Amino acid sequence: MQILPLFIAIPMGAAFVLAMLLKARHSVVDILANVVTAVLLALSITLIMTKGTITYEMGRWAPPLGIVLVLDGLTVLMLLIVNLIAFLATIFSISYMERFTAKAKFYSMFMLMLTGLNGVILTGDIFNMFVFLEIASIASYVLVAFGTEDEELEASFKYMVISSVGGLFILLSIALLYAMTGTLNMAHLSQIISSQKSGIGFLFTAALMITGFAIKAAIVPFHAWLPDAHPSAPSPVSAMLSGVFIKTLGIYAMMRVLVNVIGISILGRAWGIMLVLGAVSMVIGALLGLGQKDYKRLLAYSSVSQVGYIILAFGLGTPLGYLAALFHLTNHAVFKALMFFNAGAVEYATGTRDLEKMGGLSEKMPVTGITSVVGTLSISGVPPFNGFWSKLLIIIACIQAGRFSYAVIAILVSVLTLAYFLKVQRLAFFGKIKETLSNIKEVPVPMRVSLIVLAVLCLVIGLDAFRIVQGMDSSWLVRVLLNPAKEVLVNGTGYVSSILPK
Amino acid sequence: MSILFYSVFLPILGGLICLLIPGRIKIVKEIIALLSSYAALVLGILIFRSGSAVFVKDLGFLTGFLKIDLDLRADSLNSFIVLFIALFGFLITLYSLKLMPGKERSNEYYAYLLFNVGAATGAVLSNNLLMMLVFWDIVLLCLFGMLSTGGMKAASGSAKKSFIIIATADFLMLLGILLVWYMTGTFRIDVITKTPFAGDLKLGAVAFLLLACGALAKAGSMPFHTWIPDAATEAPVSVMAFLPAAVDKLLGIYLLARIVLNLFAMVPWLGIILMFIGAFTIIAAVMMALVQHNMKRLLSYHAVSQVGYMILGIGTGNPVGIAGGLFHMLNHTIYKSCLFMGSGAVEQKTGTTDLEKLGGLSKTMPVTFFAMLVAALSISGVPPFNGFVSKWMIYQGVIQFAGSPATGGAMSFLSWLFLVAAMLGSALTLASFMKLIYSAFLGQPVNEPEGSTPVKEVGWTMWVPMLVLAVLCIVFGVFAQIPLRGLIGPAVQLKFPGVPEALRLSGLWSPTLATVLIFAGLIIGYIIYAAGKGTRPRTDVSYIGGEAPRGDINRFPGTDFYNTVREMKGLSGIYRAAEKKYLDFYEWGIGFLKAIGHILFYCVDRFVDWLVVGVGRLARFFSWILREVHIGALPTYLAWCLIGFGIILYVLVR
Repeated sequence: MQILPLFIAIPMGAAFVLAMLLKARHSVVDILANVVTAVLLALSITLIMTKGTITYEMGRWAPPLGIVLVLDGLTVLMLLIVNLIAFLATIFSISYMERFTAKAKFYSMFMLMLTGLNGVILTGDIFNMFVFLEIASIASYVLVAFGTEDEELEASFKYMVISSVGGLFILLSIALLYAMTGTLNMAHLSQIISSQKSGIGFLFTAALMITGFAIKAAIVPFHAWLPDAHPSAPSPVSAMLSGVFIKTLGIYAMMRVLVNVIGISILGRAWGIMLVLGAVSMVIGALLGLGQKDYKRLLAYSSVSQVGYIILAFGLGTPLGYLAALFHLTNHAVFKALMFFNAGAVEYATGTRDLEKMGGLSEKMPVTGITSVVGTLSISGVPPFNGFWSKLLIIIACIQAGRFSYAVIAILVSVLTLAYFLKVQRLAFFGKIKETLSNIKEVPVPMRVSLIVLAVLCLVIGLDAFRIVQGMDSSWLVRVLLNPAKEVLVNGTGYVSSILPK
Repeated sequence: MSILFYSVFLPILGGLICLLIPGRIKIVKEIIALLSSYAALVLGILIFRSGSAVFVKDLGFLTGFLKIDLDLRADSLNSFIVLFIALFGFLITLYSLKLMPGKERSNEYYAYLLFNVGAATGAVLSNNLLMMLVFWDIVLLCLFGMLSTGGMKAASGSAKKSFIIIATADFLMLLGILLVWYMTGTFRIDVITKTPFAGDLKLGAVAFLLLACGALAKAGSMPFHTWIPDAATEAPVSVMAFLPAAVDKLLGIYLLARIVLNLFAMVPWLGIILMFIGAFTIIAAVMMALVQHNMKRLLSYHAVSQVGYMILGIGTGNPVGIAGGLFHMLNHTIYKSCLFMGSGAVEQKTGTTDLEKLGGLSKTMPVTFFAMLVAALSISGVPPFNGFVSKWMIYQGVIQFAGSPATGGAMSFLSWLFLVAAMLGSALTLASFMKLIYSAFLGQPVNEPEGSTPVKEVGWTMWVPMLVLAVLCIVFGVFAQIPLRGLIGPAVQLKFPGVPEALRLSGLWSPTLATVLIFAGLIIGYIIYAAGKGTRPRTDVSYIGGEAPRGDINRFPGTDFYNTVREMKGLSGIYRAAEKKYLDFYEWGIGFLKAIGHILFYCVDRFVDWLVVGVGRLARFFSWILREVHIGALPTYLAWCLIGFGIILYVLVR
């Protein structure tokens, strides 16, 4: 299918074109970047209706030797999420990035990051995955440091070092896999691994893999870079980083490799470590979020906490657990992007990220205020918004798997989440407006559009998910997007048969 | 039959329209609010009259369009509750017309009000536990919104606090629902009712208690009550009359009755836990009410206290007790809404609810006075008003529980204790309402500052709802058999067939006859009084509310009633008290109770509050430790990564 390489080619081409447009007028750059992301979003929407697995051989080289791009249910879901958030982020950037001088550079790096994300999702070759992963990471280091203030440079440096260590872990594990099997194609790898008896080498590789991807996904105790890096980036980038970046590079890649390539049967009991990692991330992330005064830093910690939910649900290893994890991944992308946009809008209007210097903002910024309430209720899991349903599914999955204590933890963390987001609401948006802020204005239209679209999505997904009350498949999202994606994971190493010809 | 569906969505639709109409066009908004709440009332009546066990699967244009399958079911337990939710929605809307102008955000206010009617109806009618939870939380969201329409910074603080407390309970309830699902494999109430419980007992008990947590928090019983008094002083009074006083009680007690009647087979020790919470709530809250000086705050403590009776009644698990609990729920919503409305009327006309600044309003606001007097007598359980009948039934239920063979010796002793507590609570309620009525309506009027407008009766849109409720108080008291047979009996019959007969037989109490006797007694008394009048006037020192009057002032605000205690602190106080001959039994009794009230206020009420704050502090403490660990040094962070890798490696390879 010819459409697949476009997801990589278009943004990469755009990145180079944009880099050449440094002298061009801002409006030209804006239009170009937005058209590119809009096209990508449209392309990923056309993929929704594809059935089964589709492969594309790069340069017509057959699978075990050449690189393939693979499109299955999981890929469709991830592509849709990534490109949707990217599109909204570029819209948001039109006004937001006016503060910075080099808009073309920004878009250029943004496109490079998008190239990396789409590449990681699509590729069927494990080394190729590593390359795209590093492309995305390097672009993100630049974007985090984009403001070139002290704080941003320091955050970017820390992020770069820790993230590179994670990259090294991944590279090492790939090298080991290659040494043991002699192939890099994921399907072929999986075939060979399942035919071999000895497990210990693969277990060591798996440990390296989990560590590497956990660093990219910012799971506690590998999370320390995130609370510095995500707040320092410009808000549209923060939204990308928290919304889709850590999920694609961390969670998606980890699941793809562990579940589809290595196979969780090899890991056996040790799969339970995912539950522990997830639970620890949830609790620690939420506790740290509780004490923050910096709006975006609070959101960053909340990302750590929410990623914990996703990992926890994956760790259950049941079909319902997978479904719940993917659902929460989708929802988190939507509402966390929304919340970072909110924080960006507040910063744009008031010039500060310190919650204690705000107050009564919803009086002057009604759109930002209302959408932030929607985001708060979604992330805290209050019905009928989307976050409720995915958390509900996670808790149901825990109970179904007989893991009651994890269900209780998930519920308690929900309360904590509610507490610190209500704090944000109270400090920033409620109450009487401060004297110093009396002449602020609502943000410009493009920013408002992004906010409203995401807030409406929160509600629409929530209403759609309402139907799971009468059965899972009644919900459009579950039926069309999440179920095919879940099947890929449930199928496990059966992934092979759909790619390699017998 | 899509009538159930419309009863949920018409008010919500009306609320949306209200929200979208700009704030300037006030009259249209009010008309729409009134019309949709009236429509909801009509639908509520229709649902109630259509009889029991109506099912609806989806239907209706909107659900057809959204493909949301609303699994609604009306049976004899929830249909009368729907009727009352709609009734209160209508009365409060009517009442708000005059109260709300001048306040900002009135379009939001009406929208939340109507959303609330719809969502509460939905929660009560839902046949699916998950769907019920969704509606349940929408009610919570509306409460949050309505509290914050108070507008002040502090108001949003108390709104946040209440939101977190109730949301915690709701999350617990979610866990309970999921445990029920785990044990039975379904969320549908009607299916769960039919299938006998096949889970293990321990898990069942945990699920029961978790569900009860949600119900109790919604109803506002201890220990989930602290937000109610805090909210009372800040929120608009109509919000208090509508939510904590009426709809929240209806919802909470509905759920409690539902789980006791339909979902679980009660075991006595679970009943004892519920009854203990009930009895404790009665006593502790009423003691705290005794020492309040603000009318709204006082009322809100009683709103907590009265829940105790309902829980006590339902906790008995026998038909009379449950019927009593449900009946008390109805009665409570009636008289408590009436009281809150009355205090709102007083506030609107005098500008304060501080009892020390009020007095002598009975002449200027006769209708309000009458309504509040009736409601106050009802809440105190004075025959022949409705509160008495339901309390009487609850006592009967407790006695039956104590005497039933299933309960052992210790349990039986405990339940006798609970009975005594409940009766004492009733007496204390009377005492504190005597204070309220006296301070605000009797006594002497306060000196009006020069040039202020004289206090007048409120407009008809405000007094009609109050009067309707006051009349209901009397009707439900004098002709108690009508609501018992028509509303409560069928509901309890779901579990205990043939109950209406038992309720009617009730060697318990014949309300109508009793009323006739009471009136006969009053008339005879009056005749005797009239006959003796004029012949021998009795002279004595003036003696007001149990306190000797002070000579220097000639105004006796009721807030001084139990002041004696204040002068009893320390030795000198005792000495002075002894000198003033205060050491008689009555003074001691009242003083003792007031002291307990203060102790309870600090030990229980503020303790729970402290606990809530304390848990928050604890979390923040951990948060602080964790923050201190994040020192920002790269080598540390890298070390964490390596340690993490070591652990993962160990777990995988071990």
